[in-house]
Amino acid sequence: MKRHGLLLLLMLAASLSLADAATGPSVRASTIWIRQAPPGVAVLAGYFTLQNLTDKPLTLTAVESRDFAAVEMHRSLVKDGVEEMEPVQRIVIPAQGSVEFKPGGYHLMMMQPKKNLFAGDMAEVMLTFSDGSQLAILAPVRHDPPQR
Amino acid sequence: MKFKTTLPYAGLFVLAIAAGIITGHFVFQSRHAPPRPQTTAVLLHDAKPLPTFDLTGTDGKPFTKQSLIGHWSFLYFGYTHCPDACPTTLSALDHMMAALTKLPGARKPTVYFISVDPKRDDPALLKNYALYFNPNFVGATGSLDALRALTGPLGADFSYTPASQEGSYSVNHSSFVVLVDKEGEEVAVFDPPLNPRRMSADYLSILNYYGETE
Repeated sequence: MKRHGLLLLLMLAASLSLADAATGPSVRASTIWIRQAPPGVAVLAGYFTLQNLTDKPLTLTAVESRDFAAVEMHRSLVKDGVEEMEPVQRIVIPAQGSVEFKPGGYHLMMMQPKKNLFAGDMAEVMLTFSDGSQLAILAPVRHDPPQR
Repeated sequence: MKFKTTLPYAGLFVLAIAAGIITGHFVFQSRHAPPRPQTTAVLLHDAKPLPTFDLTGTDGKPFTKQSLIGHWSFLYFGYTHCPDACPTTLSALDHMMAALTKLPGARKPTVYFISVDPKRDDPALLKNYALYFNPNFVGATGSLDALRALTGPLGADFSYTPASQEGSYSVNHSSFVVLVDKEGEEVAVFDPPLNPRRMSADYLSILNYYGETE
């Protein structure tokens, strides 16, 4: 009985840790999360790390989510002390390398969620790459960044 | 002859006065001005009085230079339709405050989030936005001219860029957080990426540098 409980706990822990990572044929996504928006704000930011598992550079060409009216790739950058956001059409992930989407840098700008999203909710995001492969990820909505 | 004998005495006299001034200067310095603290924040050499300005706080009251007198303040300029930079900064300020809320009286700082997007950020939205990050954060905004009266002298410029969505725009705004003392003077600037733990440590050493003990 006791052993059963432990097994269940282990399985639960495994499934929880899997929720913020996904692996496709050419890319692995990890540290996936969406920052919960303050009340009245219909723009959320999504973050993840993409690791290119192949020996060739790979380009992230499109991001979609059926849980939002629109999703764009953006980059925050500071120019002479001024914070700016610029849209990004494509992002190259070097061969066997990785690219981080993180606060203050690359991020998904996720507009008008179809329903209110709170910490603990999940949103589906589909990533499309230049080799034609796609990776579906489940992004947890969080109040704070995940601890690494 | 007389001139020759008095000259060495006069020279000694001048030397003694000079030595006195120099010694006095160092004694005075060490007693009254502690060494400038090493901070990640950029500490201004001389505190710079804020200009007068006339904005409206989310508490419905006027938000002016007078509102900042009597306590230390952190000012951050942003907008609510900002998915990345503003939540990141406000969340860092919230974590910084966790280490500072127990400070007594004037030593406990207040965080002000000033929206430079008054077209979209009405007081109700702004209030909920600021409170979401911390129940003690105060929001404020005003007309573009009223905002520029404050942002201009602080070098906290802002402008608008059309976004890909029809009719939408994003706001370019200063990335730094300004620390203001209880006399309403700018004393330091914190640049991102903000580290809450270092910010609270910097804040405490700046307080001590300014002789703000109780």
